[in-house]
Amino acid sequence: MLKEDFVIQSNIRRMLIRTDVDYSRMDFGTVKGVVYVRGIFQLSRFFSAGDEEKTKEFTVNTLYSLEKKIRNIPGVTDVIFQFVNWRKEKGQWIPVEMKGKEKEDEEEAESNL
Amino acid sequence: MRKRQNRIYNRVLHEIENEAQIHPRYADLQNQLALLCMFRGETKRAEDHFLEALRLNPKYRDAILNLGLLYIGTKRLKEAEEIFLSELRRHPKDSFLHHVLGILYIRTGRKAEAVARIHKAVQQHSYYRDYYRTRGVWRRGLVHLDRKTERSLKKIRLDQHYAQFHNFIGLYLAQRGKPAQAVKELRKAAELKPDEFTFHANLGTVYYYQGLYPKAILEFKKALEIDPLYGMGYANLSYVYGLLSRTQEALRFMKKAVQLNPKYADLHYNLALLYSDRKRYKQATLELKKALRINRSYLLARINLGVLYEDQKRWNEARREYRKILKITPDDEHIRKRLEKIS
Repeated sequence: MLKEDFVIQSNIRRMLIRTDVDYSRMDFGTVKGVVYVRGIFQLSRFFSAGDEEKTKEFTVNTLYSLEKKIRNIPGVTDVIFQFVNWRKEKGQWIPVEMKGKEKEDEEEAESNL
Repeated sequence: MRKRQNRIYNRVLHEIENEAQIHPRYADLQNQLALLCMFRGETKRAEDHFLEALRLNPKYRDAILNLGLLYIGTKRLKEAEEIFLSELRRHPKDSFLHHVLGILYIRTGRKAEAVARIHKAVQQHSYYRDYYRTRGVWRRGLVHLDRKTERSLKKIRLDQHYAQFHNFIGLYLAQRGKPAQAVKELRKAAELKPDEFTFHANLGTVYYYQGLYPKAILEFKKALEIDPLYGMGYANLSYVYGLLSRTQEALRFMKKAVQLNPKYADLHYNLALLYSDRKRYKQATLELKKALRINRSYLLARINLGVLYEDQKRWNEARREYRKILKITPDDEHIRKRLEKIS
């Protein structure tokens, strides 16, 4: 049975706030069971401090786990990630250098906190 | 029990100190450090952190109020009065500010001013009406201050900042995956300041994290009883009902949330989903268009709009939306396939 999009959307919302992700920089939506996740993918500030290599590894693991969790939500038929700073290529998550404007936006958001 | 709690607070202090070193421009971290110092009785250090929070963000209301309460606690009443009067100019209907000033005037022997402030507090919020009635101060529509009631009011502890302290510790624990401990802290906050809707809203959110949906609904409803204009409270209720697959209630609350926050595109988007799930395409389309009017680059709303047009066999409009989407995200295979199918 096709699950209602709003029910899926509510599940994603709850799932996101329970992860280590800073979801304030992300948008997500559901269209007929297809889930879209867009924006800047970042760990919440509690997890992003410290060693750069470890943070990267943890971020990649979080991305895999996020995808798995979304796919496990009943009614989800596909997940499309459109992050500006991470891209999935041949099953591997790789960081993408953000463009000037996106970086400026990020710095501005940080200074507003 | 107390020892365990102190251990938690010390650990939080240590972590926040580290965070503040990494993020020295975050005013909220300074406010949190100040609250922790206050709780440990380190008032000078607390004052320094509140002042730093206000230097970083001069409009930071929580830090302003906390600093005022710190001054009352350390008997710097003139400085406290200045802070609360200045806040009152910005928020003349804030019952809490009237209440605090009323108590402050009693402590400084300014009875007439105290009566006026208490009267205002009672007028603004039913919580203070009950508060002063049970103390024998509010009777038959008037404030009665005699020696006995004055003496008892002088002794009242203005410890709402401790409520904020427990609230912040609760949120901190919740964010670190300790919802049971978080609930304990948030309950303390709500007990210290029962008229503060934020504490109930936060309790609702933690119950929502835990999957305790009936409790979450109860707390969100309490928050809305205190502040019926708290639009996000209705949105949160809607999401909880969504998780319970009770979409009829979800729709009712989301409509209310949109009504109170008409400029919040995300709420229009969610309302559109609820309509679209019920095949009420016309209303769904309208909501998505409203979302797009608020935020022209809201790509997700455009995707849903395209699919909605497709469902209604409005092919031209669907194609137009899909083309717009592909201009922004040319790699979107899902949309490309949809466009090919109807081209």
